[in-house]
Amino acid sequence: MSERRHGLEAQFERVLREYGAAISRLASSYEAVVGVREELEQEIALAIWQALSRFRGECSERTFVYRIAHNRALSHVWRRRPPNQPLEEIEEADQPIDPRPHPEEQAARADQRARLVSAIQSLPVAHRQMIALMLEGLSQAEMAEVMGITENNVAVRLNRARKMLKEALGEKP
Amino acid sequence: MTVDRELDMWREQWNSIPEPPAEFQRKVQQRIKREDRRFLLGNLLTGIAFLGMLIFAVYLRHQTSSMGPGWATGLCILVSVSAGYRVWVLRGTWRPQTQSTRAFVELWHKRVAARIRLLRISRFVSVGWLIFCAVLTAANWTTIGQDVRAHPKDWEVLLVACVLMQPVIWYWAAWLRRRKLAELNEVRKTLDELDGNSAR
Repeated sequence: MSERRHGLEAQFERVLREYGAAISRLASSYEAVVGVREELEQEIALAIWQALSRFRGECSERTFVYRIAHNRALSHVWRRRPPNQPLEEIEEADQPIDPRPHPEEQAARADQRARLVSAIQSLPVAHRQMIALMLEGLSQAEMAEVMGITENNVAVRLNRARKMLKEALGEKP
Repeated sequence: MTVDRELDMWREQWNSIPEPPAEFQRKVQQRIKREDRRFLLGNLLTGIAFLGMLIFAVYLRHQTSSMGPGWATGLCILVSVSAGYRVWVLRGTWRPQTQSTRAFVELWHKRVAARIRLLRISRFVSVGWLIFCAVLTAANWTTIGQDVRAHPKDWEVLLVACVLMQPVIWYWAAWLRRRKLAELNEVRKTLDELDGNSAR
């Protein structure tokens, strides 16, 4: 096996270690069913692997990963319709019983998380992407780079997306 | 509640989404190997099919009537023109994954529109191919006619198969076209959303 391939594999492993959790979170904003979400996570990882050899550092690695993740998820949304499944399916299968104390608190947190994820899933894809990137802590410049729009546009749309998220959560905007 | 506190709360909930399972990396590696094998196998099968077709065409060239060479040449031209047209129509629409979302969706739109064009053309190509076969058969009727008279059953089966295949091909193309049109609408909707023209 060539040295280049070894290098790529090492880089890929590091990217997965570093961004695995983020990929999982982004996938959950696009896919509610646990089994299919895992499939989507793998597809995103595969797409990253396929694109990694052509990555020349034109943008930050973070932007690179998020771009691929969102683009792959967008295709997934089209292929898999209806995209939004009932909320119960999201959390039922992947929530093991938590052995730690205060089970009510744990349950309340899980419920809040499920509500948030479900509300994000109900948004139009562009807003969904905006919210996911905001929650991932990307700056407006990075968000503009991922989405291919201007920073000013990001600011305007972010406000709109947040307002819609609040509405979806049943809060007053 | 201030805006920042709200964001912090959302982020806390967001970050508590479970991480991928421990075997995620192993599963991904397995999938990469599987995809590599599929890629190799796909190319191998395409190569074998193309080689088989070439051998068949060379074999047909040695037939006594001009039906064989005519059909083989027509087939080679059809495959080459189809492949060339496909490459030309889909040019610039490969590997869009690493582009920004907007560029990706634009490329996606371009790709779906190209496929719809391709499907529209394929209808005319299938009719053209039928006409070509009919003309070739008529031109070689003196040679073929004897064989038709000698083995009418064989030719009946061939004729029925050719006639039945057309509606199947047309139905398949129409189904695929409907699907692609729906995809085009969806992509346009996504582009509108990205432009901030969401209906919601």
